[in-house]
Amino acid sequence: MAKTKTDSLQGSLDLLVLKILSRRPRLHGYAIMAAIADLSEEELRAEEGSLYPALYRMEEAGWIRAEWIKKENGRRARIYELTTAGKKQLGAEESRWQAISTAINRVLREA
Amino acid sequence: MSLWSRIGNVFRGDKVNREIAEELESHVEEAIAAGRDPQEARRALGSVMRQRETSHAIRVAGWLEGFLQDTAYGVRSMLRSKALTAVALLSLALGIGANTAIFSLLDAVLLRMLPVKEPQRLMLLGKGEDNGISDSYAGDTDLYSYPFYREFQKQNSVFADTAAIVSMLNDIHGFIGNDNASVPMNVQMISGTYFSTLGVEAQIGRVLTDADDNSEGDHPVAVVSNAWWKRALGKDPAVLGRTLKIGDTIFTIVGVAPAEFFGTAVGQAPDVWVPTAMMKSIPPHWEGYKDNFAESLYIIGRLKPGVTQEEATANVNVLFKQIRRGFTDRKPTQRDLTILNNAHVPLTPMATGVSRLRQQFSEPLKLLMGIVALVLLIACTNIANLLLARATARARELAVRQALGAQRGRIVRQLLTESLILSLTGGALGIAFAMGASRLLLRMVSSGPEVTPLNVGLNTTVLLFTFGITVATALLFGTIPAFRATRVELVETLKEGRGMVKGGTKNLLARAMVVLQVALSLVLVVGASLFLRSLINLTNVDTGFNRENVLRLNIDPSSVGYKGDEPRLTSLYQEIEARVSALPGVHAASFSAFVFHEGSWNGSVSVPGMPVNYDVDVRHNVIGNGFFATMQIQLVSGRAFGPQDTATSQKVAIISERMAKTLFPPGSPVGKVYNMGGADRLVVGIAKDVRSADLDEQDDAVDYVPYTQREDYESDFSVRYSGDFHGVADAVQKTIHSVDRSLPITDVTTLDEVVARSVTNQRVVAQLSIFFGGLAVFLSCIGIYGLMSYIVSQRTNEIGIRMALGAAQSNVRWLVMREIAVMVFFGIAIGVPVTLAGGRLVTHMLFGLQDKDPVSIAVAVGVLLLVGLVAGYFPARRASKVDPMVALRYE
Repeated sequence: MAKTKTDSLQGSLDLLVLKILSRRPRLHGYAIMAAIADLSEEELRAEEGSLYPALYRMEEAGWIRAEWIKKENGRRARIYELTTAGKKQLGAEESRWQAISTAINRVLREA
Repeated sequence: MSLWSRIGNVFRGDKVNREIAEELESHVEEAIAAGRDPQEARRALGSVMRQRETSHAIRVAGWLEGFLQDTAYGVRSMLRSKALTAVALLSLALGIGANTAIFSLLDAVLLRMLPVKEPQRLMLLGKGEDNGISDSYAGDTDLYSYPFYREFQKQNSVFADTAAIVSMLNDIHGFIGNDNASVPMNVQMISGTYFSTLGVEAQIGRVLTDADDNSEGDHPVAVVSNAWWKRALGKDPAVLGRTLKIGDTIFTIVGVAPAEFFGTAVGQAPDVWVPTAMMKSIPPHWEGYKDNFAESLYIIGRLKPGVTQEEATANVNVLFKQIRRGFTDRKPTQRDLTILNNAHVPLTPMATGVSRLRQQFSEPLKLLMGIVALVLLIACTNIANLLLARATARARELAVRQALGAQRGRIVRQLLTESLILSLTGGALGIAFAMGASRLLLRMVSSGPEVTPLNVGLNTTVLLFTFGITVATALLFGTIPAFRATRVELVETLKEGRGMVKGGTKNLLARAMVVLQVALSLVLVVGASLFLRSLINLTNVDTGFNRENVLRLNIDPSSVGYKGDEPRLTSLYQEIEARVSALPGVHAASFSAFVFHEGSWNGSVSVPGMPVNYDVDVRHNVIGNGFFATMQIQLVSGRAFGPQDTATSQKVAIISERMAKTLFPPGSPVGKVYNMGGADRLVVGIAKDVRSADLDEQDDAVDYVPYTQREDYESDFSVRYSGDFHGVADAVQKTIHSVDRSLPITDVTTLDEVVARSVTNQRVVAQLSIFFGGLAVFLSCIGIYGLMSYIVSQRTNEIGIRMALGAAQSNVRWLVMREIAVMVFFGIAIGVPVTLAGGRLVTHMLFGLQDKDPVSIAVAVGVLLLVGLVAGYFPARRASKVDPMVALRYE
């Protein structure tokens, strides 16, 4: 397990959450966190302390919507899915990311 | 998440927190299920729990929650300083309440639209300032004859509808059905088109129509007001077809007007509307329906769509001259024609109705509105100062909160919320106060025995007004302290604590506000003194008659069958005068047409050998033989009327000194003959001048004729008595009823009271300006006291050092008093010029003194110096009692 402390998620957490929810709708918080770790092959880790405020913020912004479901053990879980606005936002964030990383790569190459 | 759900979440605060906890709990569960160490998983969540504030803030509408918290906190902190809160609330309630009360009256008298269809399209011919009956050829552009109205209705091309209204309300007595007892009723005569022009429909039955008014004497129908239907007819649902006996005529009720409709004159409330065609049947039986020159009507019209006021005015003026010239039954003099050619009829918008009340009250009301606005301003500065002091005292608390991360905006908001709570509570109390006060005010300004029928209740306009001033108040006195309090140098304040005060520049704003208060109070005190002195001057006016110990009342013979031209009326008067004069305690008694402050009958007279002076309108009075004895008006020469003056003897008159001086050639007029109202009269006596209409008017030229020689309704009865008023009043009324049981008697009072009523306006203005001047002074007193107490407590440390270094108690007292003296002097220095400048606005409302009245200014300056002394005494004493040791350890 890579123990890299990744504050580098700052700024890109929204993008990751939106992307994951677009591929796999209806995930709860833990599953989103697990998916980030999983897909990045344990390189990236979202802290609980950043994830939940981010989820509430995006819910407030109308990009995702939440709903309570019953789990098999009778407890409730809060699951999230993308809204139409969220899909648009995802597109915007993706192209922003692409632009930035291309630019950074260019700097790294040319310098 | 929508705004609503966030607002909702404010009130579900706990539930939101529980949901967040539940979600995190489920997270931990998943983590453990995925094989993480339970303890480690929970530790990881610790950071989330720390973020709960953030999570919470996102899920609820923060500002609203903040507002509720601020409210709760504000209420708590206000309850802690009860005295301050009580004073603040009291001054706010009085300030806002007084403003609301005066505004309610102002709204009712001046602003409110008539409850009719499209009132802004209604126009009145003339200005609506005159009322009564005129017989001038063209001199009066306010009053019109019925034939003129009919011609105008036919010929005009600018009004869709026109209507005529008799300019006087007939205040008479009539009988409901076959009742034996008469009831008072205000009868308004109107043209048949009245209701349709206004667009008013009946609530029950029908309104009057043009057909009810098209032939004289043929349409005994009446519409009653909603209020009278309830009051006099017991809200009878079967009211249609019931009858009223008015004079000798039986009227049938055909409709009830809607509740909100009170006619077209603000401050009058007709009980019964009848068509002008019935004029002769309604006491006192005027004959004007067919007379081209009996001008007693107002004419109103509803503008046709698209017609402007200017176009209408042009058309009206063309018709005015054309119709008058068409009346050929009276040959105009050269003078009449000149007047007609120069006459101009202005149109007055009728949206708010006509009202003599308005002429009388608009100025005092606006003045009072100004006064209470100043009082409110003083109350506001006071509260601003109190809050400022409190905020400064809390500077450390606020600095700590800011240091701990509270946003500045959040603190400003909290302070503003506190002042908003204060002013809203004050506003609510103010409304409660205003509801009582506006009714009291209405009773105070009602000059008659009955309260003027005006609706001064709360309405939307008034409520909006009150809400507006309440919020303005909050902003006015809340903003400055709030911004001041947050503009602190954090480090400085935290270090400084409440230590040293740097010189006198601190509290500059607070001092400036006290100076403002003193200046405003000075203005109000000078005003109060001016109005009081003016009122005293008025009541000390020599009226020419003795107003003490005179009982007066009215009888209404016209309503119970006496005709104006019958000798039987004269016998009735003589019989009553004789019997009442014989009563124990009665010295003299007399009927007369007028006594004081009533209508008038006036006109020009012609004296042989002198040109007719049209500028002097002689007031005629018709009196009994005992009139001069009753009123104790001195005869300068000649004789009073006596039994020798009868209907058949030589027609005689007594004239006033002024009339003798202005209209008669030099030498004694006694024994000379002049022409008055078409009859030659021999002057038999000259009486001292009297005031007849108002205390503040010049003495008019007056002549008196005996009622034996001019039969008409002389309804005023005056009795000079000694002893107990009530005993005499009872005996006099019994005696009148022993002559004729059916005679209605109204308005039993004293002459003194009648004179007092005539200056109701001035008295109300004086009373209220004294009250509000006193209130302003009291508020300023509190303001000075509050500021100085605060400054003293702030400077305890400094004072302690001074005393430790040997300053005497008197020195310390002077230290405090000096500050007050400076503020008061500045206030006076600003207030005096402001007063002198503002005085010009009220100078025409004063009687017997100038607006630059040195006495009033001296009084006001004295009062404010005294106030400074009183308000400063306690803080100064406290300062001088400071124990140096305690003060130095004060930190």
